Amino acid sequence: MNRYVKPAAFLSAFFFLGGSAWAQSQIIQSQVIGAPPEASNMKLVGYSDLQARSAYQPTIHHQGDRWIAYVGHHGGTDEIPDPVNPMTGKAEPNGTSIIDVTDPAHPKYLRHIPGQEGKYEGGGAQMVRVCDGKQLPKGDPNAVYMLRTFGGEAHEIWNVADPVNPALITRIAGLKDTHKNWWECQTGIAFLVSGLPDWRTRRMTMIYDLSDPAHPVKIRDFGLPGQEPGATGAVPTEVHGPISAGPEGNRVYFGYGTDKGGFLQIVDRDKLLNGPKEPTPDNLRYPEISRMPMSAFNGAHTTFPMLKMPIAEFAKDKDGKDRDIVMIVDEEILNECAEPRQMVWFADVTVENRPMMISSYTAREASGGFCDRGGRFGAHSSNESMAPVFYKKMAFISYFNAGVRALDIRDPYHPTEVGYFIPAITAATDKRCVKIDGKDRCKVAIQTNNVETDERGYIYIVDRANTGLHILELTGPARAVAGLP
Amino acid sequence: MKMRGLLISAFAVAIFAASGVAGYQHVRATGAGWREIAWPFPRDGWPAGRAFRCETEVCGSEVEVYLRPEIGFCNCDTGVADDDEVDRVADLDLISERFVPLREGEVIRVADMQGRLRTYDLHLTGGVRHSAIGIAVSRGCDLMVAVAQGTGAAPDVQRVALDFLASRDITRWMTKAMDGG
Repeated sequence: MNRYVKPAAFLSAFFFLGGSAWAQSQIIQSQVIGAPPEASNMKLVGYSDLQARSAYQPTIHHQGDRWIAYVGHHGGTDEIPDPVNPMTGKAEPNGTSIIDVTDPAHPKYLRHIPGQEGKYEGGGAQMVRVCDGKQLPKGDPNAVYMLRTFGGEAHEIWNVADPVNPALITRIAGLKDTHKNWWECQTGIAFLVSGLPDWRTRRMTMIYDLSDPAHPVKIRDFGLPGQEPGATGAVPTEVHGPISAGPEGNRVYFGYGTDKGGFLQIVDRDKLLNGPKEPTPDNLRYPEISRMPMSAFNGAHTTFPMLKMPIAEFAKDKDGKDRDIVMIVDEEILNECAEPRQMVWFADVTVENRPMMISSYTAREASGGFCDRGGRFGAHSSNESMAPVFYKKMAFISYFNAGVRALDIRDPYHPTEVGYFIPAITAATDKRCVKIDGKDRCKVAIQTNNVETDERGYIYIVDRANTGLHILELTGPARAVAGLP
Repeated sequence: MKMRGLLISAFAVAIFAASGVAGYQHVRATGAGWREIAWPFPRDGWPAGRAFRCETEVCGSEVEVYLRPEIGFCNCDTGVADDDEVDRVADLDLISERFVPLREGEVIRVADMQGRLRTYDLHLTGGVRHSAIGIAVSRGCDLMVAVAQGTGAAPDVQRVALDFLASRDITRWMTKAMDGG
């Protein structure tokens, strides 16, 4: 039983017997184990507890005739550093969960691959991407490759063709940090967010040719001038993650800053891969097309490109009917609204050297009393699948204690929320604390951390506070926005 | 020792009174020879901190110290692990983006928090150079950062800045700020 249930029950009884209206609102704003989820135009299809491990990136892969979810995990908690894997009976550091979601109503947990020992962001294997060997230029056509981080110290590639029996292929180690990678399956080019020991920043980008995953080839290191080895003076803010438009789009969109002083950097992919590679300030500047600075209050966690979007409102305009849009998602870091709101921004980057923010979105605090519920409230990430089912039509934003929010983005100048789903907490949901006069004051709330979609139109959300994986689908008007039957 | 402290305090009061800044918002005398001044930097991602100045007559050269908590900005497991982290977080860039470390940093303990200190040559506009001390200490996932700059030699700026940071009022404030106060 969760150790916060008893106090919650006591408080409920207290307020039932005559507590103030203010206090009653606090209770209404607290989540309760066993309560139904809060939802609008989204419904639960299936669930996996992910062995009560804190979850980060989900990647859903259509693998033969099956659909497999790969979920990266943060490290363990103070209370349970290494949760027991019921399939092995052993305590294992959080790593990667592999779940068969072919039948989304009955997900089947297949395997846990342990990650780096360590708690919270100090361990685990947060990030995961998957490419088929037959799509990679030099891959084994019978293999399915999973690229994952191993805590902060390495990137690993596993063959997960048999997801029950993964085999380690390659390890790129000796790092001081890792984070949100991008891997182009059609070329094998990988943008590995890493911390090289001699760079002045915790996170920069190592670019590798992983077209033959068994034989990684380093292309170059990339970052901002001032971050490179030997530089002096101010150190620019660190990268969070890139998303490449591939050789066709010839652009890579880098997000810097996470929750403060962020910016979008637009980079010429060809110049990045084939330009001068020595990490000098001039060489680091060479592939950059432009930067769009954000407020010091906000950072860029995810920079999701949606190029050549037809804008209905501009349909009769002689020029500018289609716009290149980048959706920028900040990451809320602090609990209980202790920092400026982190949210979602839409930038029109059609004129690349003059990108401009055109709209924004946030879940409404007052709609759920989210600043008082406990844990983080604010944006964290979006789905990154570019499958036609949702691409340029809908976006799904993980919003920590406000669950996942479904946005109609067909007009990115006016994004509109059309649905949401906030799972109920479970006995496994971990507490989140703030300091009040030097003492921890803790609450338990859902912490929807990341979200991904598959080509079938299912939405997968995972929880940072150990609540597991919820598989969702759209209902009602939200389903119509995506054109789903 | 007591007499010396009294003399310094009296001198500081005299300087403070003579400077005519008593009406300055957020300005008040604090510590021996130090007075609080308005936070001199524009708003950035972190809330403003506290700034203090010690005049030449008391500290040997004019020294300013700026300090503030940066909540949720530290590696929760490793703390302030290396000199690069001091370069990144210690707010030196608020004064000038051009600073060059003078030597490797050192481990330091301030207000019962461990971290690192590093000395710098700070390049200001007009070819002016100052000595600067960057300090970053942590508790859990939170940082307390301090920068001291002055016209004196780096060891002297470091000495008076560390004495100031060790004073009871400042230590108490730093602890309270890290406690969510």
